[in-house]
Amino acid sequence: MIVIDEYLAVRVVFARWPAGLPDEELALPSSRHWRLLQALHNPRGGQLSQILAPLSEPDRSALRWPHPEVLQILDPRPLLDKAAQVAAGYGGTGWLVAESLAAGLAYGRELYFGTEQNVGHLLARAAGELGIAVHVAT
Amino acid sequence: MVGMSIGEELLEERRRRRRAGDPRITPEGRAILARLVDGDLVGEFQAALDAVSAADPLLGGGGDDDDIAG
Repeated sequence: MIVIDEYLAVRVVFARWPAGLPDEELALPSSRHWRLLQALHNPRGGQLSQILAPLSEPDRSALRWPHPEVLQILDPRPLLDKAAQVAAGYGGTGWLVAESLAAGLAYGRELYFGTEQNVGHLLARAAGELGIAVHVAT
Repeated sequence: MVGMSIGEELLEERRRRRRAGDPRITPEGRAILARLVDGDLVGEFQAALDAVSAADPLLGGGGDDDDIAG
């Protein structure tokens, strides 16, 4: 199981498999699915709203309820304790960073992102200290 | 040539379906989503994700923008 971010989730849903992404089952942390859903349901910014408006209901459904053979959404409950431990260790990170790191620890000590922009300094630093490899696959 | 076992065939079929993407995605939807994550709307998409984190301290942690990003 490979833990991925929102960019890679969208890419695999519409069948653009990045060259650098291992050919394994994929999982998106619930906090990242939440951000994707928020962007879908409440797109901020005029151009994004206009672009997303014509998405058909089947397209939206594929993002709202991903097909489990394509993309799984991680159950946050087994990750809560480790995420809280990580958050406490780094001065109270938010759930996004804490859950991502806990998922990385639980699934092979690896995290895959679709762009460097989406990694963030705190996650990159904490991942390094926790022995989690952060990959960017485009 | 050595044939695949049933287990290997099942794994290959799962792999094929995984890489084929979600069958519900339409060609029009594929074009829109490609713009979002690989095209001219990448900046807006990232800004939208960051805005969700920034608006919710429980999610984003209340750090600076780079910390909130991911």
